[in-house]
Amino acid sequence: MANLSTSEILLGLVLTLPLISAIVSFLIPARYGWVSSLTAPVLLLVCTILSFILFFTSEALHVTASWFSIGTTEINFSLLLDAASRLMILVVSTVSFLVHLYSTGYMGYDTKITRYFGMLGLFTFSMMGIVLASQLILTFVFWELMGFSSYMLIGHWMEKPAAAKAAQKAFLFNRIGDAFMLIGILITWIHPAGSPDTFWQTTGVLCIFAGVVGKSAQLPLSFWLPDAMEGPTPVSALLHAATMVAAGVFLLIRINPLLTDTALTVIAITGISTALFGAVSALNQFDIKKILAYSTLSQLGLMITAIGIGAKDAALLHLFTHAFFKAGLFLAAGSVIHALSHQLNDQKKSDVQDIRNLGGLRKKLPVTFIVFCIAGASLAGLPMLSGFLSKDSILTAAWNLSIPSAQFIFTGLILIVSFVTVLYTFRLIRFVFFGNESQTTVHESPWVMRIPMIVCAVASGWFIVSVNPIHVSGWFANSFTGAETSLIASGLSAVTVLVAFIAGVLFYWRQPSPQSNSILQNSFGIDSFYQRTIGLAIVRLASAAEATDKRVLDGFLHFIAYTQVSVAHGIAWFDRYIVDGIVDTGARLVKSAGSLTRSFQGGRIQLYIFWAVAGLIIFLFFVLI
Amino acid sequence: MQNLLTYLIFTPVIAALLGLFISAEAKKIFRLLTFVVSAIQLLIILLIVGNITPQSGSFQLMEKYNWFSIDLGNWGILKAEYLLGLDGLGFSMVVLSVLVMLIAGISSWTIDKNVKGYFILLWILNGAIIGTFCALDFLLFYLFFEFMLLPMYFLIGIWGGPKREYASIKFLLYTLLGSILILIVLIALVISVQAPESGDTVVHTFSLLHMSDPANFIIGSILNPDDAWVIGSQTARWWAFLLLFIGFAIKLPAVPLHTWLPDAHVEAPTPISVILAALLLKVGAYGLLRIAYPIFPDAAMELSSVVAFVGVLSIIYAALNALAAKDLKRLIAYSSVSHMGFVLLGLASLTVEGISGAVYQMFSHGLISAMLFLIAGVLYDRTHDRLINNYSGLASKMPVFFVFVLIAFFASLGLPGFSGFIAELMVLLGALASGSTNELISEGFAFAAAFGLILGAAYYLWTLQRMFFGPFHVKNGIRTELLTDLDRREFGMLISLALVILIFGIFPQVLLDYINPFAKNFSDTLTESIRLIQNP
Repeated sequence: MANLSTSEILLGLVLTLPLISAIVSFLIPARYGWVSSLTAPVLLLVCTILSFILFFTSEALHVTASWFSIGTTEINFSLLLDAASRLMILVVSTVSFLVHLYSTGYMGYDTKITRYFGMLGLFTFSMMGIVLASQLILTFVFWELMGFSSYMLIGHWMEKPAAAKAAQKAFLFNRIGDAFMLIGILITWIHPAGSPDTFWQTTGVLCIFAGVVGKSAQLPLSFWLPDAMEGPTPVSALLHAATMVAAGVFLLIRINPLLTDTALTVIAITGISTALFGAVSALNQFDIKKILAYSTLSQLGLMITAIGIGAKDAALLHLFTHAFFKAGLFLAAGSVIHALSHQLNDQKKSDVQDIRNLGGLRKKLPVTFIVFCIAGASLAGLPMLSGFLSKDSILTAAWNLSIPSAQFIFTGLILIVSFVTVLYTFRLIRFVFFGNESQTTVHESPWVMRIPMIVCAVASGWFIVSVNPIHVSGWFANSFTGAETSLIASGLSAVTVLVAFIAGVLFYWRQPSPQSNSILQNSFGIDSFYQRTIGLAIVRLASAAEATDKRVLDGFLHFIAYTQVSVAHGIAWFDRYIVDGIVDTGARLVKSAGSLTRSFQGGRIQLYIFWAVAGLIIFLFFVLI
Repeated sequence: MQNLLTYLIFTPVIAALLGLFISAEAKKIFRLLTFVVSAIQLLIILLIVGNITPQSGSFQLMEKYNWFSIDLGNWGILKAEYLLGLDGLGFSMVVLSVLVMLIAGISSWTIDKNVKGYFILLWILNGAIIGTFCALDFLLFYLFFEFMLLPMYFLIGIWGGPKREYASIKFLLYTLLGSILILIVLIALVISVQAPESGDTVVHTFSLLHMSDPANFIIGSILNPDDAWVIGSQTARWWAFLLLFIGFAIKLPAVPLHTWLPDAHVEAPTPISVILAALLLKVGAYGLLRIAYPIFPDAAMELSSVVAFVGVLSIIYAALNALAAKDLKRLIAYSSVSHMGFVLLGLASLTVEGISGAVYQMFSHGLISAMLFLIAGVLYDRTHDRLINNYSGLASKMPVFFVFVLIAFFASLGLPGFSGFIAELMVLLGALASGSTNELISEGFAFAAAFGLILGAAYYLWTLQRMFFGPFHVKNGIRTELLTDLDRREFGMLISLALVILIFGIFPQVLLDYINPFAKNFSDTLTESIRLIQNP
């Protein structure tokens, strides 16, 4: 321990400060719950500052300590700070700090505030762990911890049955992926990269990818993410931006050398289908948070696609930019909900998150409006913003594919996704901030909530990525990722965005209220299809197993027991009436013989004379005849 | 330090003898005495830790005394020994026993009916369990093994719930059946094995150490590996292994021989459930590791796919049953069966990782199941109602209790940071590695077992959602004022278990230092025995 370098100590602090924050929050008694809303953001601020220092000063680091060994296999607790993880700890700590700060306003009056900040700290800690871990088993440890803390955060308002259900769904969907992932990790361990067995390598990597599918909500395990909106909005911001869903993409970047060609193809197809599915679904939602949730699905799909087509740097870049603008969007949405929730409850309006109930908020909530517009424009990929650059780099990668058919398919599909992205973002802003004012007394959120939003909006600008607003170049992108953009892709992208914007204006501006297609709104009914098939099948199987236990196994046992008792009764009967019967009959025979002979000696003289005469007669009879 | 193991075994037995002379009215003395017994045992454990070298894979702290030796003329001499010793396996089980017995003793303070009889039986049980884990002579093992059953029968049958008679007789008959199967093999073995030191007169020995060496089998005897008798289409050794496997699988329990367990658990009082799940089930697994596998490695290898299949079947089938369970304690009982399936899977792989994982799972499940049954007991003590659907929203009513429920449930479903994860990780690694190293079991078993992980999450989370989340209300006439949060005694027990589970989850090497050499040695010896048997 003595000869740790400064960077190593910093690294340790960056990793553990969120955990310390969590422990401190858990230890604070409920009566002094407000203390945790001081300690947690402050500790996270320190963590953020330290990760900035680490970001700018540290070289690549690899810290290893033995954790435990199984037989001959050694399992290490090893952390790796390379270009990718250095970037990610910055994002994670910054967004997490912003969310902590925002939460002090948003969750100010919550009675379970200590548990909230505790779980938020644990959540951040697990993401830090995933980012820094350099052995897959260790990644999995943090991966599962994140599943647990997200379960607690999504279900924070556990008295609400919908929240409890959403939390359970999130954990179970994740668990399905994780079970495979654990197997996959073990397989890749037994058959490491370079071993001749490609079948097992592909199987292993695809199993790990199943875990990514669960955590990053890709098809077919997407459906927990929209439901997870039942959690507090700052949690959604954290979950969608820098942590949880980002973990899957980051893991794929980490295991990139392991990916075989087959695996890459599967990954690319999964990614692009999710991107399309998410975008189309987002276009048909009414819930402001669900629109953003499906949008996250879609954007994650793009990142996964990028990995599938071999552009992991583009994926990392998009992960980075997406973290800020999506956090901004969620925080702004939270601000809308926060501002309206009291008022709408009074009026007994159905739902403050339903865009059909909203409108004209741009004058009442100017800061929120501006943040929403900037972050939304970045999401839509408007030039001058970070989203434009990162999306371009993915498009460029697709455009540069060597197989012509794949080149056109992927470029086309990514452009379609961009097109729809512009549409749903426009639709959202149009119906929330423009149109008729339906609310009267609304106030902008407090400063602790406004500052994080503004920071996120600022961080949606092009300059966090590159010096050139329309082309990736310069300080950031080149030193931390190898992502690049080409002019053709940028042009295609810009044209698409422009066309989509015009289409949006023409289509939505005149519409008095938002429309939706019910099939698309319910994600093609896949979710309820799962419940009706897999869910029901498991329940049926469970009751079948219960019946087997009660009827078949115990039934057999009882049958044996009854048979045995019956046989015992039979034997008892046999014993009593046959065995005893024979003995008794013998005894009775002896007895009657005895009494017969005894009767000869009755003690009366007449009897003796009678028998003597009778005997004499019989004797004579024998002798004479 | 001589005879430490004897002291460990007989401390509770002496307490039981003392208890005979204490007035039945003096309940407090009995409660105090059980604490004293555990304290002494903990002290002995510390001495054992100081006197044992973890790196050695062989037996330590051996105690060897002649028990009896009968000259049977031409047939030879029948010799039984009082032979005790610990290796990594025995050590971890003994440590677990002492810890669990301490918790069970504290948990027993609520017992109010016939306290004297209860504690005397508990102490006999304590000694018998530890004796089973230390004995290296088959006859001695069998004696301790049988001595566990009777106290258990009475503890369930007298202090149990409404259907206690049915449950206790089912438990007794089931386990007796297992004992008879083991006894058959015991007799066959003692006929076939001679002590290596025997000269002209054959010395038939019960020593497990001698039985585990294929060289000690008498030529022409029924179980001799070179020319074992053939019964039906299989060798006598195959049948002997099968009988042992069934006998110990009843105890484990493995599907389909498990139906005694849910009934016994549901009816047993809380501390007895704790002992049953945490220790008695381990005896089944211990028997396989100590007796069935080392003595019949050839048959074990031949049947490893069967063992793995039974393990995976237990994992999934019991998990499905847990999903359907309506009684909280029944759910936990089925989860026990499911988790013990991992022990079988690890064992079947015969890899070092799998064996280590199996032993770690035995230890870890002992702690986690103890915690789970204490949790069920907390609720039952208050309301005498364990039906899941009668509760809702308990999290807000009993917040501290809820925290422990979360810890126990997530530890049991294998969340990293708790000991269960390490065990399941090692078992799955062993099961997967088997396919590419010794080719005993296919990788498919590991995939199927992973499905059990998903089901495990499903039944625990569903229980949480039904009982603890949502708005608070209770049904079936439960009085809400009964639902008070934990008292200090319950808090103390639960937090110490939670901490131990956490420690063994974060610092597994503490225990693996003892288990790994055992597993290595076990795996090597078995491979060597198999080689000897196949190419004599």
